[in-house]
Amino acid sequence: MTTPAPEQTTDVLSPVRAELLRAAHTDAESLRARTEREAAALLDQARAEARAILDEARRQGEADGADAARDLLVRARREARSRTLDARRESYEELRRKAAERVRALRRTDGYASLRKRLEHRARALLGPDAEVTEHADGGVVARAPGRRVDLSLTALADGALDRMGGGVRSLWEP
Amino acid sequence: MSVSGGIEYTAVRELRGPLAIVEGVSGIGWDEYVRIALASGERRHGVVLDADRDLAVVQVLEGTAGMDPAGVRAAFSGSPLRVPVGTDWLGRVCNGRGEPLDGGPPVFGAHDAEVGGAPINPVRREPPSEPVLTGVGAVDALTTLVRGQKLPVFSVAGLPHLELAAQIAAQATAAGEAFSVVFAGMGLTHADASFVRDALEERSAAGELVLLLNTADDPVIERILTPRIALTVAEHLAFTEGRHVLVVMTDMTTYAEALREVSAARGEIPARRAYPGYLYSDLASLYERCGRIRGRPGSVTVLPVLTMPAGDITHPVPDLTGYITEGQIVLSPETHARGVYPPVDALSSLSRLMRKGAGPGRTRDDHLDVAAQLLAALARARQVRDLADLVGQAALSPTDRRYLDYEEAFLRDFAHQRSDEPRDLDTSLERGWRALLTLPRSQLSMLPARLLDAHGAQDLDDLGEGTPR
Repeated sequence: MTTPAPEQTTDVLSPVRAELLRAAHTDAESLRARTEREAAALLDQARAEARAILDEARRQGEADGADAARDLLVRARREARSRTLDARRESYEELRRKAAERVRALRRTDGYASLRKRLEHRARALLGPDAEVTEHADGGVVARAPGRRVDLSLTALADGALDRMGGGVRSLWEP
Repeated sequence: MSVSGGIEYTAVRELRGPLAIVEGVSGIGWDEYVRIALASGERRHGVVLDADRDLAVVQVLEGTAGMDPAGVRAAFSGSPLRVPVGTDWLGRVCNGRGEPLDGGPPVFGAHDAEVGGAPINPVRREPPSEPVLTGVGAVDALTTLVRGQKLPVFSVAGLPHLELAAQIAAQATAAGEAFSVVFAGMGLTHADASFVRDALEERSAAGELVLLLNTADDPVIERILTPRIALTVAEHLAFTEGRHVLVVMTDMTTYAEALREVSAARGEIPARRAYPGYLYSDLASLYERCGRIRGRPGSVTVLPVLTMPAGDITHPVPDLTGYITEGQIVLSPETHARGVYPPVDALSSLSRLMRKGAGPGRTRDDHLDVAAQLLAALARARQVRDLADLVGQAALSPTDRRYLDYEEAFLRDFAHQRSDEPRDLDTSLERGWRALLTLPRSQLSMLPARLLDAHGAQDLDDLGEGTPR
């Protein structure tokens, strides 16, 4: 086997070298291009994601804001409504109190004796002649028979009368 | 003054659970309402469950806890419970027997009415017509609720039927005519009761809502009174005040359970699943109170919600309800599992009176055609889905694949909506059209060509799928 001269070897290998170099350059170039493309795509994607996140956050924020505003409105309405109703209840209770007071005041009037007699008569009509009839502390009478009882006290009568007033009570808060 | 003239009975033989046995009474009848005063001055209420000779068994609504039999005074009112009726109820929140929960005074009315009511005389009935629009697309478009109709919602525990009931109560309208809602909640948990109050706050503040809330821990007999009070109030608002009234009653299954409990306490012979034998007629006595009356304005429309124990549609409550009512809206766990609200099972749902309330001159000319086509296409889509489970999607024809797309569009775009979103009928029908247009024109045979042209329906070739993939 003969060994070629060194300069001869260099000459023979130079096309190979050149080709290898070219291939490496091409590879590097395409790799660079691909990397650039990928980087650009990644960047676009990241930008799009950021935009989407921002949009979503904005939408969420708006929705939260709208929800909060609605909650606030609902709470305010409920508060206003409950105050109105409270005021109505108070005036209704005041009416009951005043009515009871006025009826109790009947005890000190001249007609009370005949009123009491009429109440006692009614009590005996309901429970029978043997019913035990006593004066109620607030005026009027309470009658008792075994297992039965009739409350004809003035306050009970006033309560009953108010209950029967029904819708008329609304004139307290309605024009 | 009451029939008994104000006599109070003081001889209480026994207190047992919620029952008080009063002796020495005379002329007392079943269901009579009783006012009970305790020695402390506290007042309670009761209903006569049973009367025999001089004994009356009274169910105390508030329970007998803390009652001393020696100091009890029971006054029998001579009739079943009567409630005041009138517009004073609007905007009020009350418990199941009509007492205020909103801090206001008692509800007043110029008249009062017996809560038992009486079903409308069939001869004086006017057939239901004109729609009540609920603002829920799937219901309005496919199972239109008609004024004077009774249309139940059949649900299963765990599904959002209360949300749907509250949404319908909050949104429903009657084409600009005077409209009110009476919401009767029965056996609600406190969380549910509070949810309902919040959801209906706006309507309540607008003075268009009566809210009756009977919670799960309230006495059962009160649960039996709740729907009756609701309907009594509704009847007056409708037939005297001339409003269209929607009565939402939820949950009728807990109502029936309360009925069973009371029936057992009365010692009646139990029938199917221990419900009383008269469950059918009792439910009918509620449902049949809806309707319209000849010569009177207004209407009462009833939307009962009931849960089917273990999803069993043959359970006595849904079964008997189905006999009486005019259709049903069925909620499906499968649709719910797919994240669709409201999870309406459109193929099992039906409004028998829809034709009286929808279509030309009532809603939109194309309403009935679109609804029929939506349902027909959905039925086919379901068959295709079953087929795809067997042979795989790839083996389906292009048209069949379109049906799968249609089902998705139907659920996501047409049926699905937010629970706080009122959707008008036009939008719902347009969404319906959009779902239908995922199908080739040749499949939309129930729609007139004129409408298909107007909406730009395309053949399969135009949809880009003329050739097999």
